Amino acid sequence: MSTRIVVDPVTRIEGHLRIEADIENGKIKDAYSSGTMVRLLEEILRGRDPRDAWAYVGRVCGVCTSVHSLTSVRCVEDALDIVIPPNAEMVRNIMFCAQYMHDHVVHFYHLHAMDWVDVVNALKADPKKTSELAQSISNWPKSSPGYFSDLQKRITKFVESGQLGIFSNGYWGHSAYKLPAEVNLIGLAHYLEALEWQKEIVKVHTIFGGKNPHPNYLVGGMACAISTDDVSGLNAERLAYVGQLLQQGKEFIEQVYIPDLMAIASFYKDWGAIGGGLGNYMSYGDLPWNGYRDTSSYKFPQGAILNKDISKVYDVDLRKEDEVQEFIDNSWYEYKGKGGLHPWKGESKIKYTGPKPPFENLDTTKAYSYLKTPRWKGNAMEVGPLARVLVGYARGKEEFKMVVDKALKDLNVPVTALFSTLGRTAARGLESTLVAQWGLDFYHQLIDNIKKGDTRMADSSKRNPEKWPDKALGVGHSEAPRGALAHWINIEDEKIANYQLVVPTTWNASPRDGKGQVSAYEAALRDTPIADPKQPVEILRTVHSFDPCLACAVHLYDEEGKHISRISVLGD
Amino acid sequence: MEERLLIMGVGNYLMGDEGVGVHAAQKLMSSGLPGYVDVVDGGTGGFHLLEYFEKYPRVILVDATLDGQKAGTIRLIKPRFASDFPKSMSTHDIGLKDMMSSLQLLDKIPEIYLFVVSIEYIQQQGVEMTEEVEAAMPELLNKVTELAVRLSPETATVTSR
Repeated sequence: MSTRIVVDPVTRIEGHLRIEADIENGKIKDAYSSGTMVRLLEEILRGRDPRDAWAYVGRVCGVCTSVHSLTSVRCVEDALDIVIPPNAEMVRNIMFCAQYMHDHVVHFYHLHAMDWVDVVNALKADPKKTSELAQSISNWPKSSPGYFSDLQKRITKFVESGQLGIFSNGYWGHSAYKLPAEVNLIGLAHYLEALEWQKEIVKVHTIFGGKNPHPNYLVGGMACAISTDDVSGLNAERLAYVGQLLQQGKEFIEQVYIPDLMAIASFYKDWGAIGGGLGNYMSYGDLPWNGYRDTSSYKFPQGAILNKDISKVYDVDLRKEDEVQEFIDNSWYEYKGKGGLHPWKGESKIKYTGPKPPFENLDTTKAYSYLKTPRWKGNAMEVGPLARVLVGYARGKEEFKMVVDKALKDLNVPVTALFSTLGRTAARGLESTLVAQWGLDFYHQLIDNIKKGDTRMADSSKRNPEKWPDKALGVGHSEAPRGALAHWINIEDEKIANYQLVVPTTWNASPRDGKGQVSAYEAALRDTPIADPKQPVEILRTVHSFDPCLACAVHLYDEEGKHISRISVLGD
Repeated sequence: MEERLLIMGVGNYLMGDEGVGVHAAQKLMSSGLPGYVDVVDGGTGGFHLLEYFEKYPRVILVDATLDGQKAGTIRLIKPRFASDFPKSMSTHDIGLKDMMSSLQLLDKIPEIYLFVVSIEYIQQQGVEMTEEVEAAMPELLNKVTELAVRLSPETATVTSR
C-alpha cells in the first residue's frame, strides 16, 4: 500500500516549499520537493545601481537577511576590484558569527527540538531529578528543583487551558519520542530561555549595522564609523558591549545548547543511520582571517566531497563555467538554449506549466518547481552545517577534528554516523561552538587593530562610477547558516545587466535534474521509516535537520489521493 | 519612570489590505499622540518584537483579520490566548501567535488591546489598500487614539515592570 504525503505551505500568504512523498511498507519510497513561490529578485535588480543591490537582496529573507547583503557587497567588490579595509572585514565576520549563533540556537530550540522533545511528557518529570540531571550535564545556573517545578506549573496551566498554542502542532505521545520526562522538561525550559537569549545576540547587528533585521552594508566596507570617544559613533562603550554579547552568546552555546544537544542525541542514536541522502557535500568557505581574497585563511575552508569519501577534498571554483551550473529540466523556467547555465550567463524567464491552483497534487512527471536545479560538475551536492563540518574535518583542520572526534566519542558512534539526520543536527551544534569562539577571536582582532591606530572602515576610491570599467563580472560567496550561498553579477554601463543568486535551499531542495539525479532533500527522505503515516514525525526530523528556509505543513493522503489529515511543519 | 504605552501596527505593507496595521501605525506616528505613547511599525516581525512586549506593560495592537466580516469592520478584542490572534502574517512561521504563547509561558505577557480590521483578500500585492479598508482608516485612527488617551498612566492598575 502506498500513501501520499504532501508538505505544503500553510501561512496566510503563499509560502515557499512543498514536498510530496510516497510511503510504502512503512518507508518513504520516493519524494518530490517543489518550490511554489516565485522570488525573482534577479528581475527586480536588472538595470539598478550595483551599489544598491545589497539592500534589495537582503530582503530575500528576514532570517538570513544579513548573509545575502554580505554576499552581494562581496560580489560587487569582486567585479570592481575593491579590497575592503581590515576593520570592515572583521566587523563583517563578527556579524556573521552573531548571525550563526542566533540562527542555529533558534533553529535547534524553536524549529527542530519539538521533533525530539515531547512537551506533554515533560509534565510527568520529577523536578528534583530534572535538577540533578541538568546539574550533571552543565554548569548553567538556572537548574534548581524550584526552577523546574515553577516552569512545570506554568506549562500545566497552559496545557490545561486547552490552548497548546505554540505547541499545538506536535505529535505528543508518539512512540518515536524516546526521551525520559526529565530530559523533555530540560528541553522545554531551554526552549523558553533561548527565546529570551536570542533577542540579545542580535544586538551585535544593530550596533554595527544600525538595525535588525536587515542591517546596513556598504560596497567598499561597512557603514559604521569608528570614533572611540564620540557618543554617536562606534565608540569604546559600544565595542565593549559587543564583546559582552559575544561572550554571553558563547556561554549559552557551551552551557545550554551543546549539553542539551548531546543529551538528546544520546537517546536517538538510531538516527545516525537515517536520512543521510546524497553523500556529496560542498562548502564555499567563509570567515577570512586575513582578507576575503586569501581563501587559505578562511575559518570555514572551501571544498567538495563526493560519495562520502572524506579522504579526498576537491577545490571549488565559482568562476569556472563548467563547475556551478543551473538546470531547468524540472523547473518552471525556459532558457534560450539547452543544458545548464553558469550563473554569469544565467537566465530567469518563468514558464509555469504546473496545475492551476488550488490543486491537490503536482504532476511530478513534468516540471514541478520554481527552484532551478544547481549542479557542481554535474553532481548534486548537499550544502549546510554538515557539509561545512565534513569539509573542515576532511581538510584536517585541527579545530574541526577536535569537536567532531569528541562528539563521536561521547556518543560512542562511528564516523559514518555523521552522514545522517542526526549528523546534520549535531554538525550545526558543533560548528556553533567553533563560531562562538571565532566571534571573540575576530572581536579581539578588531580591537587590536583599532588600538594600532587603524580606524579605516571603508575604501571609497571606487565610489564614483566614472572609475568603473564599462563591463565587469563579479562573484561573491559566503556560508549562510543554511549553506553555501553565492551571487553572480554582470555590470554594464554602471548598471546591473544580470544578477543571479544560487542559494543554499536551491542546492538542497531543488527538483531532480534531466538525468534523474535527485537533490539533497529528495535523497535524504528516501527510505526514512514512518511508524504511523498519520503522524509522520520522522519526516519532520529529516526535513528540519536541513533547516529549511520555508514555512510548510504536512498533508497526508491515502492511495487514492484523498486527504487524511494535515499538520503544520515549523520552518523559518 | 512614567508608565509608557505602546501602539504597534503589524502586517505586510506590500500585501495591500494585509498591511492595514502598518498603515495605521505610520499615520499615528505623526498624529500628535500624548507624550506617554510610543508607536512602532511591527511589520511581519515575530520573535523580533519580543523585547517590545516585555518592555511595555500595556500594548495596543492593530492587525488585519480574515474573519468573514464586511471589509473595514473594526473590532476591539482583549485576547486571552494566542489563538485569539489573527493567523501569522509572515511567510516565516514564527509569528505573532507563537510569540504570544511564549510570553504566556514565560509569564511575561503584557495587557493587550487588539484592534482587528476585517479584510477580504490576502493576495493583492501593492502598498495601496482597497477603498473599503481605506474608508475605515479615519475611524480606526480615532478609536486607537481614544483608547490611547483613556489608557493614560494614571489609569494603570498593574504595577510597572
